[in-house]
Amino acid sequence: MLELIFTALLVASFVTLFVKNGRVAAVISLIASLLPVAAIIDWGNEFGLKIFSFGLEKSMDFSIAGITMHFSVTALAWFFGVMIFFLIPPIMLFSYSFFEKNRGFFPFMLFLITAVFGILLASDFLTLFFFWELMAASSFILVYMGRDRKAIISYLSFSVLSAVLILTGIALIYSQNGTLLFSNVAFSADEVTVSAIILMIAGFAVKSALMPLHAWAPFVYSKADEPFVAFLSGGLSKMGYYGMFLMLFALPGAKILQQYFDSTVATYILALIGAISAFIGTLLAFMEDDLRKLLAYSSIAQLGYIAVGFGIGSSLAITGALFQAFNHAFFKSVLFLAAGAVAYRTGKWKISELGGVAYKMPFTFMAALFSIFALAAIPITSGFAAKWLLYEAAVSNKYIFITPIMLIASVGAFLYSFRILYGVFLGENRHDDIKEAPLPMVAGMFLLVMPLIIFLIFPGYMLDMMHSALVNAGIGTVSHTNYVISTGMASYNTIAVVVGMMIAMIPAFLIYVLRKHRNIDFKDNFLAGEPYEIYGHISMHAANNFYKPIEDVLMPYLRKGATSFYMALYNAMGRVSKTVRRIYTGLSQDYAIYVAVFLLIIMGWLIW
Amino acid sequence: MVDFLIKIAVIALYTTIAMLVGILFMGIGRKIVARVHNRVGPPVYQGFIDIAKLLTKKTNISHGWIYDLALLFSLTGIILTILFLPIGGVKLLGTEGDAFLVLYLLAIPALGFALGAGASGNPNAAIGVMRALVMMLSYELPFVITMIALMIYYDTSSIAQIVELQRARWAIMIPPFMLAAAVADMALQGMLMEAPFDIPTAPHEIASGPMAEFGGKHLGSLMLYKAGTIVAYTTLFVDLFLGGGVVMHDGSILSYIVNFAVWFLLILLIFTLSLLINASFPRFRIEQAFKFYWKYEALLAFISLIWVYLMVIS
Amino acid sequence: MVMHPVLMIAIPLLSAFIMPLIKKAHRYFAFSILLLNTALSILLFAKVYNEGALYETIAGFSPPVGIYLAVDNLSALLAFLINIFATINFLTSRQDFRFSMLYLLGVAGATGIVLTGDIFNMFVFFEITAVASYALVASKKDRKATEGAIKYMILGSVGSVFMLVGIAIIYSQLKSLNLYDIAARISSMDPKMMWLSFSFLLTGIGVEAELFPLNGWVPDAYEGAESNISSFLSFGPSKASIYAIARLLIIFSMSRTYELALYLGIVTLLVGELAAFTQKNTKRMLAYSSIGQMGLILIAFSLMDKTSYAIPAAFFIIVSHASAKSALFLLSDKDGFGDMSSKYAGLAGVLSLIGMPPLAGFWGKWYLLMGVADEKIWAVAAIIIFSAVIEAIYFARYLYKNMEGKESSRNSIPAAVMVSISIVMGILPILYNMAGGVLNA
Repeated sequence: MLELIFTALLVASFVTLFVKNGRVAAVISLIASLLPVAAIIDWGNEFGLKIFSFGLEKSMDFSIAGITMHFSVTALAWFFGVMIFFLIPPIMLFSYSFFEKNRGFFPFMLFLITAVFGILLASDFLTLFFFWELMAASSFILVYMGRDRKAIISYLSFSVLSAVLILTGIALIYSQNGTLLFSNVAFSADEVTVSAIILMIAGFAVKSALMPLHAWAPFVYSKADEPFVAFLSGGLSKMGYYGMFLMLFALPGAKILQQYFDSTVATYILALIGAISAFIGTLLAFMEDDLRKLLAYSSIAQLGYIAVGFGIGSSLAITGALFQAFNHAFFKSVLFLAAGAVAYRTGKWKISELGGVAYKMPFTFMAALFSIFALAAIPITSGFAAKWLLYEAAVSNKYIFITPIMLIASVGAFLYSFRILYGVFLGENRHDDIKEAPLPMVAGMFLLVMPLIIFLIFPGYMLDMMHSALVNAGIGTVSHTNYVISTGMASYNTIAVVVGMMIAMIPAFLIYVLRKHRNIDFKDNFLAGEPYEIYGHISMHAANNFYKPIEDVLMPYLRKGATSFYMALYNAMGRVSKTVRRIYTGLSQDYAIYVAVFLLIIMGWLIW
Repeated sequence: MVDFLIKIAVIALYTTIAMLVGILFMGIGRKIVARVHNRVGPPVYQGFIDIAKLLTKKTNISHGWIYDLALLFSLTGIILTILFLPIGGVKLLGTEGDAFLVLYLLAIPALGFALGAGASGNPNAAIGVMRALVMMLSYELPFVITMIALMIYYDTSSIAQIVELQRARWAIMIPPFMLAAAVADMALQGMLMEAPFDIPTAPHEIASGPMAEFGGKHLGSLMLYKAGTIVAYTTLFVDLFLGGGVVMHDGSILSYIVNFAVWFLLILLIFTLSLLINASFPRFRIEQAFKFYWKYEALLAFISLIWVYLMVIS
Repeated sequence: MVMHPVLMIAIPLLSAFIMPLIKKAHRYFAFSILLLNTALSILLFAKVYNEGALYETIAGFSPPVGIYLAVDNLSALLAFLINIFATINFLTSRQDFRFSMLYLLGVAGATGIVLTGDIFNMFVFFEITAVASYALVASKKDRKATEGAIKYMILGSVGSVFMLVGIAIIYSQLKSLNLYDIAARISSMDPKMMWLSFSFLLTGIGVEAELFPLNGWVPDAYEGAESNISSFLSFGPSKASIYAIARLLIIFSMSRTYELALYLGIVTLLVGELAAFTQKNTKRMLAYSSIGQMGLILIAFSLMDKTSYAIPAAFFIIVSHASAKSALFLLSDKDGFGDMSSKYAGLAGVLSLIGMPPLAGFWGKWYLLMGVADEKIWAVAAIIIFSAVIEAIYFARYLYKNMEGKESSRNSIPAAVMVSISIVMGILPILYNMAGGVLNA
């Protein structure tokens, strides 16, 4: 059965490669992408999402040509599977309208899904790494189709960096243990294992765009196809955290690190890096004018919180981190898709060139608004519960640096949220000739918003879903009912919030309903009835350099960032390279001398 | 069911009183500032007159449904926040959430307000919102640091718990929290948008900032929101540092009245303090405000946090 | 028994000389010879795999007069690779009969180097393939090609002389030219003489194997030659010679020689990759990158005495490099991936070279790092990581550059077939089992 899913995905991928029509390819891909969803729902019977079962097996050994690949579903993989595979059908639905022609998105997306399915099911390091690299290769091809120099170079080089770091780690683990099976690997607190763990976490951190390994993200997110970017940010970035979770908690690397350093310093550094990612990412996000780059920095920031949770390592923190990962998967996908939908209609990416889209595309706006609420952790979506758990964890562990950084980063999220809302959707209506996005796009976005609302009211379901993953990793769970989460420090009752909000809405609603109003186009109001054309040259959209004052203050500190460091490194390597090439003078006599000198040197070295 | 109805009634009563207090404070505020400026000033009930006028206006102009969200969100959000704050020791929903929840609930009206301002299409409104958001980023840093100091000291993040634990001694009596309270008070100045941090609304400068295009019921509800924020922020401060104004613990009717009175006096005190500062200082530009909060205030707040941390771990 | 390994050398060698006689049908004839050779190599491999290593003395003459062949799994596989790539590559030839003749000579020589068990024969085959290569490079009649060929020839001749000197020293000491015989009795040599001969041999073979600093000819020859000849150089002579170096290392099996090979590999790797980093000319960039890859192969071979991963690592890097880099050279006659097959060949080729599955390069990277980690040589691991990233950067730039071009190479379909071999090898890692490798747990 499992082989069938893999095969079906690969076949679908191969078939779509030859389908020119985007609609047909989208339908094939949509159907194919439902297969892993079905598998996840089926396995859910064991791990806490009881819907139905058709008895899919949970493990498989697949031998090809002398190599055995081991697959089995763990609770952890299942939880990440829920997070990732439920994203894909709505994204495919969105793509149905987005791609008129099949330019290669569908086959490689399906290939990517196969790879992700393989990673999640892998139960030995070879399988994990094999599929990890398949993922890197297929996502690179998708990036490649974006046709941007910086994106291609940065993505490929960082993917390769990530791969070699992970591979070195795996090799070290293998050399210590003599086995690659997760179940047989037993870590001990020696320096080889510790460096393996650190190398692998660094490798995984590249995929999850943790600072300072995030430099590829802004380029890639801003240049590839939107549906892919939605999946890249929403889904693939979580694979990095899947790997980290695997290393730190499933194979208890965190304990080993603690034993080796005799303190929690290593995981503390991870948490600090996460918090700093969240902070700097946020600052960079609200200064950005390109909508996709803004969302890219926002992704870096939001993903940083997950690292904080893993770094703190208490059951509260990890619950929060997984919850945050889940929320981020959905709200960031919606935001990228909404950006794609806006660009599909207007053809623009710059926030300062957009404006007033909400009146023409109200449903896209609604979906984006809800995701922004989730992103800013406003307690009318599930976004709040995740961050709340993380704050609680950080405060109860008395992390006096990390907590304020996280909190202020989250306040900063309001700033860029408003930038999106105002700059793109509100303000001056500059687009009179556009329509709402096509129905499949809107449907895709709304499907992705659903979980954010469901888990607002019942965060307990989410905690149930990650229950067995946490218990298997020996972490323990947070006490909760369906709608109350209680930590040692306080509790959070979602029903109180929802009911309280309904009550609190009464006066506002009464004022709204009882006093009649009439709608006036804001232009009439603002221009006091003068015809707009006279003032056509006046921009009524304050969107250029929106946060200029604070930018002026902060920019001197942010200019020397990781990206400029990499650029400097790149340039320095270029200079080294030019120097090295001077060895090749192009003169045969020089080369002949090299040969003679070489002979003498090795002769000398060998004989004496 | 009866319990539930009683609870609803109590909630309605308390929020109504809180809003009324807020409106009253707006009038008191104008009076005090006027007196400091050596003017006569409007009567203390001016706030009621203004709001009544705005809410009963016949001409109401809207700029679309997103503009109307401002009305709904801002008023709903601020009332919801008040529900989660212990007022004079009465916890309406205070045990169902904590300080983080309150911080984020306070963002609902702000974001709604910002949505409405954005939808109004006036660039001045957008500039006002930008300043308000930057101001928020500025004052939140020192404020959350002081809040974290309290949470670490009392080992709880529930405001209701923090109020409870201050029975014996108000937080402000403890040395590090004197510093923290001073910092938080300056943060409060920014939250209430009083001088020297009144640049977001910036009277006389950018046509009252975010509210430039509002009128009628929309402006009326925004004034109600403003009244609510005065109560919410001052109450938050009193709950965190001044024991919530709880002086009697026996649970009698009298204790409710006394506690309520003490709470009222305390928030009036805090608000007056804020007004006096407001009346005597000119206005910071937004980047100056930002630097002030992130350099000096944050440093002081951090000192108090480290101090508390050392106290707790020793 | 019909199947005799010497046929694989003899048939192309003899038919090369028939070429001038059958001018018209030369292309079909040469192609069928190559096809036949490939078939023979498969049979040879099957035989060696089933019956173990094969030692054959030809025609009853004892060395040095006769030909002595020693075929093990790895050499049979390499012979197969060289022949199959030669066959595919030949499809792109548009030159006249002289090309076919030289090409067959070159293939015969390269196959001979891999299969021979006699050091003097090895020298002869080196000469055959080298001379054929000089002429092939020069066959494009322009200044650059001539310049490249001259440099190649000068260095190649110096190398041959050194190699001959090395062989002479060994023969004077041991009175034997048989590789196994030499290996068995090497310790009885006077140590100084031994080191002297090793140095001469390494320098001599190193010129062909593109080791730094003996590889001055590489960028010019690769750039100057016709693209299908550059492609031939990168899978034929260079791969055969790196295998010859591996044999050399086994013969002089001393920790010092391995150490030397490791350092040499590292330096070659770094110089090659760094030189390629900013190179704008595609063919020169690929040439420098080849140098780097040869260094990587040498690093893998230099770990032979320590870890069992070394040979599969080297084998897979050879496969990946021979298929992918040759394909990229084939594509390099035009800047641009205009059609589907050149897109596929270019992308898959690059992905194989930087080690992504399901391509052979993945297994090369996997086994090499497994071996390095097994030995815990941190510096080498760091250098491999560094060079992998450098390589990724310039290949990404290469891909970007070609993406924009609308025209596409005439050789795109053979290139695509070549890259597919890398995929087949990547999907069926059984082949390294046969190459004497070890499998995972």
